[in-house]
Amino acid sequence: MSKNSIKIFPGAIVCEEAKLRGDITVGSGTIIHPCATIVAEAGPIIIGEQCLIEEQAKIVHRLPLDQQNKENTPVLIIGSHNVFEVGCTVEALKIGNNNVFEAKCFVGNKVTVTNGCTFGTGCVVTDEQILKENVSIFGAKCHMRESLDKPAPQTLQMETLVKLLPNYHHIRKPNCKH
Amino acid sequence: MSYITGPEVVSYACTCGLIKPLPKLYFCRHCSQIRCSFCVCSEVDSIFCGKCSENIPSAEATMKKNRCANCLICPSCQQELSTRIASKGPANPTDAKSPIKKTYYLSCYFCRWNSRDVGIPDQPSATGGWPQRDNVHSHRLQDVVDSYKQIMLSQKHKKEHDKKKKIGKFVSYTDRTGVTASALRKKIGIPDTPHALLKKPKMPEPAVASNDVDELPEHLITTPLNLMDITTVEQRLLQPESQPLTVDKLFPVRKQLSIKKSLRCRCCERNVSKPEFNPSSVKFKIQLFAYFHIPEVRIVSLSPLVEGVPSELILKFTNPTQHQTTITLLNLDLAEQENYVKELTVSEVAECLEHSLSLQSKQPGSLTSISVGSGSQPSSLLSLTPRQPSITVKPRKIEQHVNCDVEMPEGAFVLPPRDDAAEYDESSDVHNVEHDPKHVVWRKSNKAFIKLLVVPNANLQANQDVVCGFSMEHIYTNILVATMENKQPQKSHHRVRIFFNLGKITRE
Ligand SMILES: [Zn+2]
Ligand SMILES: [Zn+2]
Ligand SMILES: [Zn+2]
Ligand SMILES: [Zn+2]
Repeated sequence: MSKNSIKIFPGAIVCEEAKLRGDITVGSGTIIHPCATIVAEAGPIIIGEQCLIEEQAKIVHRLPLDQQNKENTPVLIIGSHNVFEVGCTVEALKIGNNNVFEAKCFVGNKVTVTNGCTFGTGCVVTDEQILKENVSIFGAKCHMRESLDKPAPQTLQMETLVKLLPNYHHIRKPNCKH
Repeated sequence: MSYITGPEVVSYACTCGLIKPLPKLYFCRHCSQIRCSFCVCSEVDSIFCGKCSENIPSAEATMKKNRCANCLICPSCQQELSTRIASKGPANPTDAKSPIKKTYYLSCYFCRWNSRDVGIPDQPSATGGWPQRDNVHSHRLQDVVDSYKQIMLSQKHKKEHDKKKKIGKFVSYTDRTGVTASALRKKIGIPDTPHALLKKPKMPEPAVASNDVDELPEHLITTPLNLMDITTVEQRLLQPESQPLTVDKLFPVRKQLSIKKSLRCRCCERNVSKPEFNPSSVKFKIQLFAYFHIPEVRIVSLSPLVEGVPSELILKFTNPTQHQTTITLLNLDLAEQENYVKELTVSEVAECLEHSLSLQSKQPGSLTSISVGSGSQPSSLLSLTPRQPSITVKPRKIEQHVNCDVEMPEGAFVLPPRDDAAEYDESSDVHNVEHDPKHVVWRKSNKAFIKLLVVPNANLQANQDVVCGFSMEHIYTNILVATMENKQPQKSHHRVRIFFNLGKITRE
């Protein structure tokens, strides 16, 4: 695996205890909790602005077997305002904006996530598919439904965390300029 | 807890002959017998809404069709809906000081359904006034309900009428001669009018079966199906009156009420379980669970099972009561139980027959009984029998196949009372139980390990479960009598049959 190269934009809160491996770019306003894991195995990961990545959340950039050994290295782009809740595992190919990955859900590496999707608690989504916008997946049987609008952003929670986290954790210094 | 007691490895035979694991059994202290859900009566104690924790009187609940007036559930996933605030700009945009207008809408936190999805307008108040959907079949339903009410009423009248007839002291001449009033009327030529109260209730118009069915819409074949627009079976059955086909017709449903139930022993009609009235309380006023009265048995270890060869089974016995008990292990003896059930059935049939015969001979109205004397009463009223429950449960044969012998150890062993403090006291390991039989291999406070030898039958199949069992006799101390009559606690021997599912035979 290549050397770790972590780029952090100003305004992002990345705790030192978060496990970051590979080439990762963190956009401004994004919060990464301690003990979150981000592994850029198959190529770089670029995380957008105002994302919330909670404890024990795992974001892994790992290609499906049939797409490995290709010339160009793919980049996993994660949009803005995404929430990765406690204990979720996300290996999706591409993630848009305003998605919510609820606690303990699993998203496989054949899934393309567009915008405004919600993955319910404990839901496992592995089949190859491109999800429509504003789809929510819920319940033990992973029922799907389409909403009219995107999930509400966690603005209040993020504002609190921006104030709170630096008081109790070591924060990585931003090393990029706008 | 359920992961230990849940799998049905060790099960106990209820007095009624059914086999259940210990946590599912009750123990009636008045009868000193085990009871299960099958041999207790369930009664509705209180009706409440699980969301707003409000008690609702049963009459009101019937009126509201057993649904809460304030709480709604999600038509998409059946979880409870919450009210959310949406603030619209100030009521008067030109005046900066005018207060911000708040509106409310319903939203499901689970599947993100909300009332705006189906076009329900936001409400100005938080407590609701959510539009009610009219049931298209409400007239028909009302017709049917009305006619059933009429039937009920007329049957009630008929019953009362019949009663009056029977009680009537004066035996009319027509009754004696067998000439009825209607026959007399016919003879004289007056039209026979039926009794006004016995008028036949008006039945609603019968439903008409129709052959006319809409043609199959073409778009079903031509356009691709979007499964996300179609409702599931659960969603349709949640609203039986409208049964929406597409998700845009899903409307909030009133939450169904829950009940708290109390259980009554069918033999003595006393409660074995009674919850507290408060809907938010999960405690019980009365909880006579067998788990608190009958020694618990668990399997500790078992050496590999080979057919026809003895293997070692170690069981853990726990005394859950505050009183010392002595446990004796006895043979299962299922034949004895079967005989007991048979005898009981025979004696009951005889009793029933006698009862019906005595009733028949005292049948009022027949000429013999009148000539003997009108003051005679049925014999059952004269003899003062104790209060008999309306429904009794007959014990049945224990239907459990046993294919493994247990070598019964000799001698009883003592289990000291439960002491919650002993759990934390390391020094109290020394126990003063003397003369322990040699099959007791370990003991601590109220627990003991017992070693048994089990021999699976020689002709067992490889895929068959090995089941063994024995009777456990323990001394039960009933403090109920002591507290009621200021006497010494009453000790009695209580016997229960226990079955063990030991798993499958090991083959080399
Ligand atoms: Zn029973
Ligand atoms: Zn309610
Ligand atoms: Zn819902
Ligand atoms: Zn009883």
